Amino acid sequence: MTEAIADLGRAMRAAPALFRVAFADVVAYRAEMAIWVLSATMPLIMLAMWNAVAAEGPVAGFGQTEIARYFAATLVVRQLTGAWILWQLNYLIRHGGLSPLLLRPMSPLLYEAASMLSAMPFRIVILMPFLGLLVAWRPELWATPSLPSLALFAVSVSLAWMLSFLVQALFGMASFWLDQSLGLFGVWFAAWGLFSGYVAPTALFPEGVQPVLYWLPFRGMLGLPVEILGGFLDWRAALPEVGIQLGWVVVIGVIVRYTWKRGVIRYGAHGA
Amino acid sequence: MRAPRALVVPAALIRTSLSAAIQYRSDFVFEGLTGLLRTAATAATLGLVYWHRTEVAGWTLPEALLVMALFLVMSSLVEAVLEPNLGAVVEAIRNGSLDLLLMKPADAQLLVSASRVAPARLWDAVAGLALGGWAVAQLPTAPAPVDWVVAAVLFACGMVAIYGLWLLAICTSFWFVRVDNLRFLLISVSDAGRWPLAVFSDWVRVVLVVVVPVGVVTSFPAMALRGTWSPTVALVAIGVAVAFAVGSRIAWLRALAAYTSASS
Repeated sequence: MTEAIADLGRAMRAAPALFRVAFADVVAYRAEMAIWVLSATMPLIMLAMWNAVAAEGPVAGFGQTEIARYFAATLVVRQLTGAWILWQLNYLIRHGGLSPLLLRPMSPLLYEAASMLSAMPFRIVILMPFLGLLVAWRPELWATPSLPSLALFAVSVSLAWMLSFLVQALFGMASFWLDQSLGLFGVWFAAWGLFSGYVAPTALFPEGVQPVLYWLPFRGMLGLPVEILGGFLDWRAALPEVGIQLGWVVVIGVIVRYTWKRGVIRYGAHGA
Repeated sequence: MRAPRALVVPAALIRTSLSAAIQYRSDFVFEGLTGLLRTAATAATLGLVYWHRTEVAGWTLPEALLVMALFLVMSSLVEAVLEPNLGAVVEAIRNGSLDLLLMKPADAQLLVSASRVAPARLWDAVAGLALGGWAVAQLPTAPAPVDWVVAAVLFACGMVAIYGLWLLAICTSFWFVRVDNLRFLLISVSDAGRWPLAVFSDWVRVVLVVVVPVGVVTSFPAMALRGTWSPTVALVAIGVAVAFAVGSRIAWLRALAAYTSASS
């Protein structure tokens, strides 16, 4: 535990330099990053489908305006929770690129986390024109969240990012033992897509299924911050759910830390 | 008698790329299992939509399922045949190993388009065909033989157009070095093909037929099987296929002319 705190302390001191380096990296590959951001078209595709469904009248309280607002918020949160540590780890472990990173006086995971966070401002800048167009086209989409809601959104979206990062890191670490970590993640991703609120708001699921979705980790990775931002969930009602989110971050964080230690030992044993 | 050259090269390409892929047998089984789960999740999305309605934009559940089945077949073919090659070409252009390929006595476009396959990816096509077969059985009236023929032709036209689109993406990498991500963009935009065209607004529909022709591969054949195709639809599909085939060929030749190898 004390070791973890020391590690974090070192990371904090190194943070400004880390962010500078990582941001320069993002700027160097700006076109690549822009394509990456534009690739997240799924919310718009789902918006088209549910929009057609709601054309005959609202479903479970979601009319066409609510549907559009929900998926616009999804577009934003998806960008804010973006991580690619899975592919990074998978590559580093297979090609031995992890070795030099292990020599640094801080965990490679923290280093990668900083690099992913520093891409965030850039992602938002690219997203802005699209959101602008969307609101210009349908001004009724805009719902200004209250100040407490906005604050809770900030907390919830940070936790959602951490969850995405940690889960991806866990699947990435599977590469220490398995060849098929990307395929395994594909299954997780399919479940995530279905249950996180990515393809449909939780409220549109059959009522018997909804309580289960609240306890699974998927909703905390996307749907919860989306509903807070879009004004579908009052901040008071959202508080317990943010607690569940925090719980998942702690649980998966502990598993990640344990697995990482075992994995690095295993990696060393290969003589890489 | 020797087989014509035009057939020998593709046959050899398929043989060598298959034998390269077949070395990873456990991958093949694993992909089958994960593919099944992914298909289930995709189909569940549609189930969720039709849990609220019996008809969306004029399409019933079996009809929409047919579109999704065609989408699975299409994306499986793309991931098995087109995607591995795009990655390989981009890398070959970057490090100059395309030189070796250009020296071979066969058409470079053919070599570039078919030198790698990922057969494990074809599981989704199997799942798609099964899903599609079930969906056709649920249709109120069975498609007439002519509908089947039209559907097959439309699907083929769409696949030709999609191939042209991917070749165009490959061509851009002769000028811009890092376009690996372009394949993610292509795949994610193609996702729109999983729904019937009817759910989209007019201009998006045009884009999905003419610019990113996934609608031609998925919705058009489904329209044929439900008996709502028209000669216009067939003409549009053929026009799009010809335009993409010719356009991508011209772009490819120009790109090759502009190729200067990595060392020069």
